[in-house]
Amino acid sequence: MAAERATRQKKTSKKAPPKAATKVKPVVEQSRLWLMYPPRLITTPVIWQVGSKFNLVPNVRQASVTDEIGIVCLELSGLRKDIKAAVRWLEKIGVSVEPVEINVIGS
Amino acid sequence: MSEKTGFMKALKCRECGREYPLEAKHVCEFDFGPLEVAYDYERIAGALTREVIADRPQSMWRYRELLPVAGEPTVGCQVGFTPLVKADRLAKRLGIRELWIKNDTVNYPTLSFKDRVVSVALSRSRELGFQTVACASTGNLANSVAANAASAGLEAYVFIPADLEQGKVLNSLVYGPHVIGIQGHYDEVNRLCAEIAGKYGWAFVNVNMRPYYAEGSKSMGFEIAEQLDWEVPQHTVIPMASGSLLTKIHKAYQELSKLGLVKGSGWRIHGAQASGCSPISSAQKAGLDFFKPVKPDTIAKSLAIGTPADGFYALRVMKETGGGADDVTNEEIREGIRLLAECEGIFAETAGGVTVGVAKKLIASGKIPAEDSAVLCVTGHGLKTLDAVDGHVGSTREIKPSLREFEAIVAQDQAATR
Repeated sequence: MAAERATRQKKTSKKAPPKAATKVKPVVEQSRLWLMYPPRLITTPVIWQVGSKFNLVPNVRQASVTDEIGIVCLELSGLRKDIKAAVRWLEKIGVSVEPVEINVIGS
Repeated sequence: MSEKTGFMKALKCRECGREYPLEAKHVCEFDFGPLEVAYDYERIAGALTREVIADRPQSMWRYRELLPVAGEPTVGCQVGFTPLVKADRLAKRLGIRELWIKNDTVNYPTLSFKDRVVSVALSRSRELGFQTVACASTGNLANSVAANAASAGLEAYVFIPADLEQGKVLNSLVYGPHVIGIQGHYDEVNRLCAEIAGKYGWAFVNVNMRPYYAEGSKSMGFEIAEQLDWEVPQHTVIPMASGSLLTKIHKAYQELSKLGLVKGSGWRIHGAQASGCSPISSAQKAGLDFFKPVKPDTIAKSLAIGTPADGFYALRVMKETGGGADDVTNEEIREGIRLLAECEGIFAETAGGVTVGVAKKLIASGKIPAEDSAVLCVTGHGLKTLDAVDGHVGSTREIKPSLREFEAIVAQDQAATR
């Protein structure tokens, strides 16, 4: 019985008209981040790499670079998946990435 | 008092000074700097006197002209005005002439100073028409949002790291909010919460309501000055997580001074951190005006913020006032908790142990001179961090139901004290 029902369902679903394919337009998002990088990365063009590797538009809003630390407040525009990939890459190379609010998690 | 804005003028960027309307907004569109509430001090001076304050109920709202609400507060009306305890026995142990404890371990309703900031944030949220409030927290903040939202009849969402200890979760769950545990590393959880805060039209107390929320901390400073008969203490020692409490207590002293409500000037503000998470105190000791982020590893969980949002501003306050900073190990934190409990009968959470431990170091090093007077800010109750002292505060001695056995113990104790 169960096998019969399954076959019937399969046949029914075969007869169903195919759904019209909807094309989802990718949405450009903005992400506001603080990047903090250690001295070994200060001479590396990190922001240029973020833009070119991940097809994102970086816009620096504030920055302070000293011998000890680089701190950059950045707006990134692009596809959500690309922003996420860029954040993962930044963390992998040793850059600390925080949202512009810094500590959203209070104690 | 204006019906729409009270004594507030605008939200103002702390970096560039640009002004914004008094909405649920927290960063400057231009440089992403944090926004802060600006007040009309001329009008406040005409409305707020010591006599007006004295006639009001004993809560943090007796200074409401200096808090960011347009009308009467509607959430947390009983919060604040916690005791300022003269701590003579602890003063003797730490080697200072006069010592006071600002005791927020008994703050209402959730036994921490967070009730101050949350009652301000929720009162303002209601004024702005929000029905749902939210926060992301690892402890005290979650408890306070859950409790205050419940009493105000507001819908509450509380976001926590999924691996948070069950005891802390229960302290929020009991009030009936939506509690969401998020899996992942702290940084990922932090970024997701920022995204959620941006996407949903809720009053996120420590995100879009942060300019109002943070102002609630000033009430601790107002109360200290009033309880010292309208005098600003020479030294105030304040625990630092994000550094916000320290900057706001300083702002409170400045405002009272500007309004002519207090005697005294030249106060010093000192900061306290745990050695396992000391980005601000390490920078202060090294003479830097910026901090380096750290990965927290300390029993003082309520202070474990490796990238403190107000770290830069806290460093500036300590520098401007001539204050110092230091940090203490886990063992020194426990010793601080024990000292405060044994000398003054106050059981503080680990942040309190940090404050006492650091005060001890600052007094011993002469950064707080022994002939001066100091106030220590103790911000949360010890019942919240029992696991931190478990096994470190002695143990019971068992006897059979025999008077002879008890007398043996008394004799032993008397011999030990001789």
